[in-house]
Amino acid sequence: MTTESSAAPITTVNFLTRIKDNLPVVVVSFFSIVLFILVGFKGGAPQLLNVLVTGGMWALLATGLALVFGVMNIPHFAHGESFMVGAYVAYFVFNPLNKIFLSTGSKFLIYSGPILAIIAAGLAGCVLGIIIEKIIFAPLRHRTKEGWVMNAFLLTVGLSFILVNGTTLTLGPNFRGIPRYYDVKSLEILGAYIAVDRIVATSIALVTIGLLWFFLRQTKTGRAIRAVSQDETGAQLVGINLDFIQTLTFSLATGTAAISGASLLFMFQAYPTVGLTPLYFAWYVVMLVGLGNIAGAIVGGFIVALLQSATQLFIGLSWQSVVPTAIMILVLILAPSGIFGSEVKGVQEQ
Amino acid sequence: MNSTTTSVEQVNIWSKFVSFLSKIGFSPLGLVLLIVLALLPNFYPFSQEYIVRWLIMGAFLAAQSVAFDFTAGYINIVNFGFAALLGLGAYTSGIFANTTPFLLYAPGLNPWFTIWLGAIMAGLVGFVLGILTLRLRGIFAAVMAWFVGIALMGLVNNLTDLTRGPLGMNPVKFIETPDNLPYFYIVLAMMVFIYVVLKLVVGSNIGLAFKAIGQNPDAARASGINPTKYLVFNFTLSAFFAGLLGGFYAHFFGSLTPSTLMHTSKTVEVLAIAYIGGRGSLWGGITVAFPFVFFIEFLRSNLSSLPGLHLVIYGVLMVVIMIYYPSGFSGFYFWAVAKVKSLFKKK
Repeated sequence: MTTESSAAPITTVNFLTRIKDNLPVVVVSFFSIVLFILVGFKGGAPQLLNVLVTGGMWALLATGLALVFGVMNIPHFAHGESFMVGAYVAYFVFNPLNKIFLSTGSKFLIYSGPILAIIAAGLAGCVLGIIIEKIIFAPLRHRTKEGWVMNAFLLTVGLSFILVNGTTLTLGPNFRGIPRYYDVKSLEILGAYIAVDRIVATSIALVTIGLLWFFLRQTKTGRAIRAVSQDETGAQLVGINLDFIQTLTFSLATGTAAISGASLLFMFQAYPTVGLTPLYFAWYVVMLVGLGNIAGAIVGGFIVALLQSATQLFIGLSWQSVVPTAIMILVLILAPSGIFGSEVKGVQEQ
Repeated sequence: MNSTTTSVEQVNIWSKFVSFLSKIGFSPLGLVLLIVLALLPNFYPFSQEYIVRWLIMGAFLAAQSVAFDFTAGYINIVNFGFAALLGLGAYTSGIFANTTPFLLYAPGLNPWFTIWLGAIMAGLVGFVLGILTLRLRGIFAAVMAWFVGIALMGLVNNLTDLTRGPLGMNPVKFIETPDNLPYFYIVLAMMVFIYVVLKLVVGSNIGLAFKAIGQNPDAARASGINPTKYLVFNFTLSAFFAGLLGGFYAHFFGSLTPSTLMHTSKTVEVLAIAYIGGRGSLWGGITVAFPFVFFIEFLRSNLSSLPGLHLVIYGVLMVVIMIYYPSGFSGFYFWAVAKVKSLFKKK
């Protein structure tokens, strides 16, 4: 370590070239810090906590998106629908469960109700992911690999259409929401009152991201997933079961999106097109940091949440979709492969 | 002797006629179908007002799919902001023809004139979009167009002084008539116009360049094609016609809201038709759109207890066709024609 740092001392010239090489990152971090300070001044602690809550969620959603693109090369347009499914499952599990638990009067049971609902949503998401992968992507993959990225993208578009309208068909277009998960007083943090639900949602997002990260880094299956994302043929040569890995990846991504949908049920009521806004923001994140970049997606989630918060504070709530979109268009023009870049196979192919 | 020369002349005239037709993109069968379609609303079961309305919807969707396929089927870039461009044309035309005094501008121009303003506006944005997507390929270009579409829709939602935002505006109609029939001929004429113009472009050298770029931009560049020029031209023309169709929508329905017009799901509907019809054929979408609209409207009016069923069918058909029969209806048609021809040759 010491020898390395002494071999390349940080001189002014060295420093400047480093900045030049990482210009997009430097510019974005600079603006993020400025925005952070501005938002902090104008909105104070509640706004900053808000950034943390939404940022955690966008990060969790974007991680799934990045994973699916990195491993399977699918630009997933139906990710918001996984979010929607999670919200519905949580709603239908939580309400009866809560009634039963309330009747028992046990505090432990009442507090664990939401967690159980969120876990159920995650499991349902995983199962849905497996079904979708086996019915839609596996046949296409075995058929042809030509123009895969674009075809897969359009397939997910069709899938999103089916899921949204299938939900309308079976459950109707009504909103189903809950006022809150935890019926307790808000906590006071740094002079700001924040609902317990938000804290729980953020912790769940961070824990899920952490588990995912651990799984990808430390377990054998996780390494296999990363191997496939780097080189499919090579992974196959060393005996990795490609079909299994891809189904697992898709299922994980769908499951994490369902978890975020479930844990945000108190903010986003369940209705057929609820997934659209989260989908937009998750896409902003992956486009900002580079398609398929999982580590970047975590940082990017918070940057986008900050941007969203700043737009809300300084320009107005209704501009929330316009300003971030305009900035993402700029990012796409200036740094199409994202600020951190992505070294995923297939990004530049058709 | 005399009769044989006339028959030879007749054959000559016939083949000249056919070659002329194929230049503007029609086969004799296609022309006959078009004439049948044009006459259809004059006969009983089709002359009922609601069926004429279905026919209008069909022609509107068909024309959209032609303009969409011009980009998606040839240069292989999916314009995900197509509906937003169409909405931009509709709003521009609606605003210029607006007579409602409480909005910011009420110039009250003639809608026959303003639809061209809408088309030019959409064409300009298409031009910019073409320049923006120049460096991007495949998924990045689609996402770029998508983001631009979201931004446009957000703008329309927020510029309430001009558009009344989500409340929606009510542009004047082309003609003050309760009849739907004149509108059918307007949209049919637009559809044929768009089809013939785009077919002429595609049939020329420009079309070849499009296909080359769509298959491999680097190889196209290496063989001396300037992708910049062709990409921007393609986007501009496609957006121009989208804007024109938007103008028709504005002055036919007489009601515009951002979410019913510019939403991504509207693009997906057009995309589904274009893909089911067959990529890169232009006419595939037209043949599919009419039966489709009839089928879907039939479902909607008879099974109104099941909202969204027609859209589920849209999605399922699109997914199934993309996986198992990617060449779509036009591919099936060419396959069938080849099959029939080979049968006759054997005999």
